[in-house]
Amino acid sequence: MKRLNTRLITPQLCAVILLIMLPLVSVLGLMTGPVFISLSDILSIMLGDDGATVGAANGANSQEKLIIEIIRLPRVMLSLIVGALLAACGALLQGLFRNPLADPALIGVSAGASVGASSVIVFGSMLTSGGVMLGLSAISLGAFGGAIIASLIIYRLATGPQGTSVATMLLAGIAISALSGAATNTLSYLADNDMLRRISLWQMGNLQGASWERVGLGALTAGCLAVLIPRETGALNAMLLGESEARHLGVNVEWLKRRLIIYSALGVAISVAIAGVIAFVGLMVPHLIRLLVGPDHRSLLPLSALAGAILLVAADALARVVIAPAELPVGIVTALLGAPFFLWLLVLQRGRS
Amino acid sequence: MLKINSVGLTISAVPLLNNISIDCPRGSVTALMGPNGAGKTSLLKVIAGEHKASQGRVEINGQSREDWKQSEIAQFMAVLPQSSTLEFAFTAQEVVALGRTPHATGLVRDAEIISAALIKVDASYLAQRSFVQLSGGEKQRVQLARVLAQIWEYCEYEGQGNSNTDAILLLDEPSAAFDLAHQLMLIDIVQQISARGVTVVMVMHDLNLAAKCADQMVFMNCGESTAVGPVEALLTPKLIKKVFSVDAEVITHPLQGTPMVVV
Repeated sequence: MKRLNTRLITPQLCAVILLIMLPLVSVLGLMTGPVFISLSDILSIMLGDDGATVGAANGANSQEKLIIEIIRLPRVMLSLIVGALLAACGALLQGLFRNPLADPALIGVSAGASVGASSVIVFGSMLTSGGVMLGLSAISLGAFGGAIIASLIIYRLATGPQGTSVATMLLAGIAISALSGAATNTLSYLADNDMLRRISLWQMGNLQGASWERVGLGALTAGCLAVLIPRETGALNAMLLGESEARHLGVNVEWLKRRLIIYSALGVAISVAIAGVIAFVGLMVPHLIRLLVGPDHRSLLPLSALAGAILLVAADALARVVIAPAELPVGIVTALLGAPFFLWLLVLQRGRS
Repeated sequence: MLKINSVGLTISAVPLLNNISIDCPRGSVTALMGPNGAGKTSLLKVIAGEHKASQGRVEINGQSREDWKQSEIAQFMAVLPQSSTLEFAFTAQEVVALGRTPHATGLVRDAEIISAALIKVDASYLAQRSFVQLSGGEKQRVQLARVLAQIWEYCEYEGQGNSNTDAILLLDEPSAAFDLAHQLMLIDIVQQISARGVTVVMVMHDLNLAAKCADQMVFMNCGESTAVGPVEALLTPKLIKKVFSVDAEVITHPLQGTPMVVV
């Protein structure tokens, strides 16, 4: 029998699956690492607040408690938040550009962040002594600044008297990314060995720097976006028909574009600042969710956020064990995990149509 | 009710429309006709608000086009573009549902409207199909259902909605991708909703199809309206020669009595 429905699963089923996976993957993330911590120890550390008795009764010693509280829990939380931010912002941008292959790199955020971070690494040895602000190192601040400046330039270039042209924005994004790439390469060329290593590691994602301050900053950003973005989902759906069609459906297209660009630039800039450049999540996760449940942003955005969170936690857990006791940069793992799965989905989709 | 008063449009120093005046009373059907590049779509875009008239003004329901907020006008005016560029795999049903974006009538009522609109354009069997996989004619029918859903209250009952506002439907070559049966279906729909008070303005190339349902025709050429008037007055060999540069005979339909152009 020929199935007429083109969807693989309903949004409800997808939500249930992801909500079951989320705590499982998070616990897995807490367990894995150079020191393996058992599930029962994690539960007793998380639930029991009296460390001494718990330790005596269940064997969860104070060292494990410290590992969980200071290292693993903030790291898992940071992965959850950054994964959710990147995936949701990717979905926003794909809707805005009406292109399922758009990605946060397109509005120059990642490339700008690289320039910012590299500049600080190369020139900023005198600045780094300036200390830490909001849990962000000078490198993170540089990345955030670079990301925001790059997206501002691209937005200005694409905005004329007729409004913002997303086509121009795409081209400007490519040009600014190329320019930023050249600047980053120049900086790498000038850098000494140690700086070079830090630049390239930063560009592959950096969740090791997780701290409660970073988690707080990420959570604040994610919280704001979680309140603001759901208001735009109806208009964003209409935008998929085309800008003039959306206008005829009563959407104030110019304002919508402006808000969406601000939200996504902010979301990506913050996540880049607190976790470095993590490719793939923003591009593939929304695409994958769209293949599963369809393009309706009312379900696409929250489900992408959930799936992005799960993917990044899983990828980070894997990154800590594959070449233990050393760690693989998480950006490599996200690409290695996601790309084959994505290809498999594409082949599946091709077989159905 | 729609009034176009001496509208002119110039974009980047290129004059596209010059001194166009058309009066479309409530429930009338106006067919914009003319050769390619005559300015039909440009005029439709001025009415739709995509271009601001350089001269003159468009009056909608007694108020200048610019004085309406986009969100207000979307409540009673729907626009069907020539072609759609939707790249995302919405189902046909979801595409029609987008037509309800300007309204807050609730999911239950919207679902009724969506399925009724799909039935109206003979596309209910496509409801669960992915829009991107449909044929050109099927896509256009689904898009037609979407714009009908947007002004559904006005299409379904006489005198619905705010009594001061009449619904307006702008169609840009709606039948271009349709097969013969669906071209006639389109004519039926246009006649039905105009009888209920919806004002329809459409760009058409098929003179005979337009003659079946239009109350007035506008012959456009080089950005000017060469002739405006009832179908019988415009469908003459002389005017057709002047506007379209085609030699044609006009005869009367043996059964329906409407004028027919034979080339």
